Amino acid sequence: MNFSLIKNNYSLLSFLLIPLLSLWNPIWFSVMGVQPYWPIFWLLPWSILNGPINGLIIGFIIGIILDSINNDIYTQVPGLLICGFWFGKLGTLKYRYQYGLLASLGSLICGLIYFLQLILNNYQKNPDWLFSFGLKNIFGQILLTGLFAPVLSICLYKFFSKNLKKNPF
Amino acid sequence: MNKTRRITTSRWWNNKNLWFLLIFLFLIVFVRFSKSLIYRDIYYFLSKPFWPGQFQRELLLESYDKELNTKLKQLEKDNLRLRSLLSLKKTTDDLKIDSSVISRNTGSWWRKIILNKGSRNGVTIGDAVVGPGGLIGLIDDVSIFTSSVKLLTSSESQVGAWVQRINIHGLIVGVGNDSPKMIFYSKDIDIKVGDLILSSPASTLLPPNIPIGIIESINQDSRPTTTANVQLLANPQAIDWVQILKTKI
Repeated sequence: MNFSLIKNNYSLLSFLLIPLLSLWNPIWFSVMGVQPYWPIFWLLPWSILNGPINGLIIGFIIGIILDSINNDIYTQVPGLLICGFWFGKLGTLKYRYQYGLLASLGSLICGLIYFLQLILNNYQKNPDWLFSFGLKNIFGQILLTGLFAPVLSICLYKFFSKNLKKNPF
Repeated sequence: MNKTRRITTSRWWNNKNLWFLLIFLFLIVFVRFSKSLIYRDIYYFLSKPFWPGQFQRELLLESYDKELNTKLKQLEKDNLRLRSLLSLKKTTDDLKIDSSVISRNTGSWWRKIILNKGSRNGVTIGDAVVGPGGLIGLIDDVSIFTSSVKLLTSSESQVGAWVQRINIHGLIVGVGNDSPKMIFYSKDIDIKVGDLILSSPASTLLPPNIPIGIIESINQDSRPTTTANVQLLANPQAIDWVQILKTKI
């Protein structure tokens, strides 16, 4: 394991954007009230550059922070752990659309894990009621995250790459 | 003596146009068949200041208002006494905190809003939050400067409510969309679309009788309960200012 997590200072500063965006929820980015899954935009380029172990650690940290913001009984940590590790395994991406596809898949994984927790917890109540709402959220997030990732994640990738060159391990 | 014959052409109606005659006749007919509506209406306004019962009527209304106010005060006192005996929630006007919405998440997994008043302003977990129209949720988390509101539409939200018209209690459960469900734990109840839903007077979480919403549609087929979709009166997506109701037992 390397120490890019600590050395990569400016990258970590940009990390602050994730909780800020999660709190802000700019309405012009939303479709039917659903927002893109913000942490994926940051996690994808960061994990690609820093490898699976760092991706796993940062995924865990983001998950904990987002859980503390949303303060409910469900957790986003498992989804972000999987995504961080998986994105780290992929290595450099050649094409722009790959960012979009990966971000969409990451959003799908996180959304499904969250939805599963919701269903399990409300199993006795009436989970049928939750299906339309859950599917709307998952597909809304997949669409928006996949749409914006080729722009936002690539910008972040370039920013992290420059930062890595300035602060080599 | 010879009587001279009058010259008919000298009569005035012979000199006027025929139209004049027609209009005159029409007016006559109108006045006859209008049954003096215009006169009566004019008379209504002219005689209004001199009506005999006006002053007495005002006196009666005033005394009736006084009587109702006395009854209301007495009932409020009784209500507070009984609620304190049952350890239920109550609010007073001096325990309302105005607050603005600084973060809004109303359409995704997390249906919450964040307010700019926190523990230093006296906000505590469990306080009810109302917007223009009615209840929007309960405070579920408080920091020094902010507080987070769990909206009624959240899938984690459950509050007691009642339909005042038929005096039936139920539970409003958030299902993640904009229309929460109301569950009535009995069948064959006389709820109707459009019935007003208020917070339950028997609730230990909420102050009584805060407007919540109206029945949007009813699902009688659900077993063993009756469920209804509720249209909330206050729309959290469009609210910028809210009031936090401090509750006390």
